Amino acid sequence: MKPRPLELPLDRVQRWMLAVIEQPGTAEEAVVSPAARAELDPEDIEGVILPSKTLSPVERVGVYQGMYLLRMIEALEGDYPAVAHFLGSDAFAELVERYAKAHPSRSYTFNRFGGKFPEFIRDAKWLRRRAVLTDLARLERAVTEVFDAPQSPAWPAEAIEKMPRESWETAVLRPIEALRVLSFAYPVNAYLQSVKTENHDHPALPRRASWVAVYRKDYEVWRLDLGKPAYDFLHALANGRPFGKAVAAAARGLQGSPGDQIFRWLRAWVAEGMFQSAG
Amino acid sequence: MKRHTPSSRNRWGFPDLGLGVGLRTVHYPHILEKRPDVDFFEILSENYMDSGGRPAWVLDQIAEAYPVVLHGVSLSIGSTDPLDREHLTKLKALADRTRALWVSDHLCWTGVSGRNTHDLLPMPLTEEALSHVVGRVRTVSDFLERPLILENASTYAEFTASSMPEWEFFARLMEEADCGMLLDVNNVYVSSYNHGFDPKQYLDAIPPSRVAQYHLAGHTNKGTHIIDTHNDYVIDPVWELYRHSVERTGNVSTLLEWDADIPAFEVIHAEALKARAFRREESNPGRERKDLEAAAS
Repeated sequence: MKPRPLELPLDRVQRWMLAVIEQPGTAEEAVVSPAARAELDPEDIEGVILPSKTLSPVERVGVYQGMYLLRMIEALEGDYPAVAHFLGSDAFAELVERYAKAHPSRSYTFNRFGGKFPEFIRDAKWLRRRAVLTDLARLERAVTEVFDAPQSPAWPAEAIEKMPRESWETAVLRPIEALRVLSFAYPVNAYLQSVKTENHDHPALPRRASWVAVYRKDYEVWRLDLGKPAYDFLHALANGRPFGKAVAAAARGLQGSPGDQIFRWLRAWVAEGMFQSAG
Repeated sequence: MKRHTPSSRNRWGFPDLGLGVGLRTVHYPHILEKRPDVDFFEILSENYMDSGGRPAWVLDQIAEAYPVVLHGVSLSIGSTDPLDREHLTKLKALADRTRALWVSDHLCWTGVSGRNTHDLLPMPLTEEALSHVVGRVRTVSDFLERPLILENASTYAEFTASSMPEWEFFARLMEEADCGMLLDVNNVYVSSYNHGFDPKQYLDAIPPSRVAQYHLAGHTNKGTHIIDTHNDYVIDPVWELYRHSVERTGNVSTLLEWDADIPAFEVIHAEALKARAFRREESNPGRERKDLEAAAS
């Protein structure tokens, strides 16, 4: 005989089901969690969900609940493969479980779900080697952002030669949308590369500063290792500082006459399409 | 230029595009290089709404060469949360950009209280839920300036309060909200297994003129229930249900979904082409792309 239905409005049914689905652990644990209990007494579940011939009401809701965390893990594994690899599957799953609880997806797109992952890792005091993991996550987030950033027209390489000499000092170069210039406390770009190439001989990650430009060219995402002076120069340019001031920032780390080096970098970066205009 | 069969049976005159395949990232290089002879592509709307990079670049080329339809997973038409205007705005822009012949999503809710589970969650099949969804479908159709097509999702739970079967809910929804149906035959099979109803009874209750598109896919049978995993070939009973339904609706654009353990493009395309054996022999006057767009406008 069909159980007697509980008269619940649609919004309350949905809030209860969401509370169960978001809960980690088993389905039996989820339905008695405080969040689920706030919407429905576990004793009344048959009044909301029917049993099937093979599954109880709790097991049927458990089909959805069991897939929730797996889906969140899969989404973040896609965006953060190096973090996932560094931690291993169990530790990564625990990290995602905590993250999803703190920052459940609030967007129609999964792309935004991992947006706060680097900051979450940075603040996760319980997490071992979180400084390395924070750097890895920041790099991987930059890759995701650059992959999806709006397309910008590239400043043509020959434009450098056409710029009047007297204009350079105050010129401001406008970077493309798909450019990120990052500094790290650890050499994480090499580690990410080893994960992407499935090289199981991963480099050690001693504390050693590194600098990377992440940018998109011809619809492919590239990661360019930089030295400290080159980083200072590109970071200043990408943040809208006038060319003269950006040169000054870089020159502090260069010996001798920096002019030739500065323009070699600039030509290379313009050829890679990192800027869309100068003015 | 590809030629397609017009369909006079559906409510909006949507053409029968033939047998299509879901566009997946791993197949981009193959499609761009080989330009396979596929009748149409279906794209997952949310994968392209926020990307200005490679996905958008590839999509523009696909939309230039093939008919495209949009299929979403985040409309959450059944949720009691307000409709997401940002989502709708971007969906409309994407439909316009790709000249999509139609836009579909699912009869489900994906979240509430501002949260998204990114799952297709079942609706209680009640008068309250029907009234709620009818109003929202009308709002969305008006916003998109095109009829909304809704797919029957696979479901793993039934609500005690449901007062009608899903096929009746769908039939009434389509009539009252003037929307169409993306009839996923595999999902009918999956839900019939999970809930113990006759899948042919479901198919026979769907008004043929409302069926805008078919979906076919594989699934995973866990013994106690079936999960709609889209990771395998279509099983024979689903092919037979497809044949049964096509007898009622006539040939309707049919798409094969394969989203996990994705094989080579040729394997998926060959699986889609198996549908030829189950479709009706119909005359084919043919249509050019401009005719398709006129039909969709």
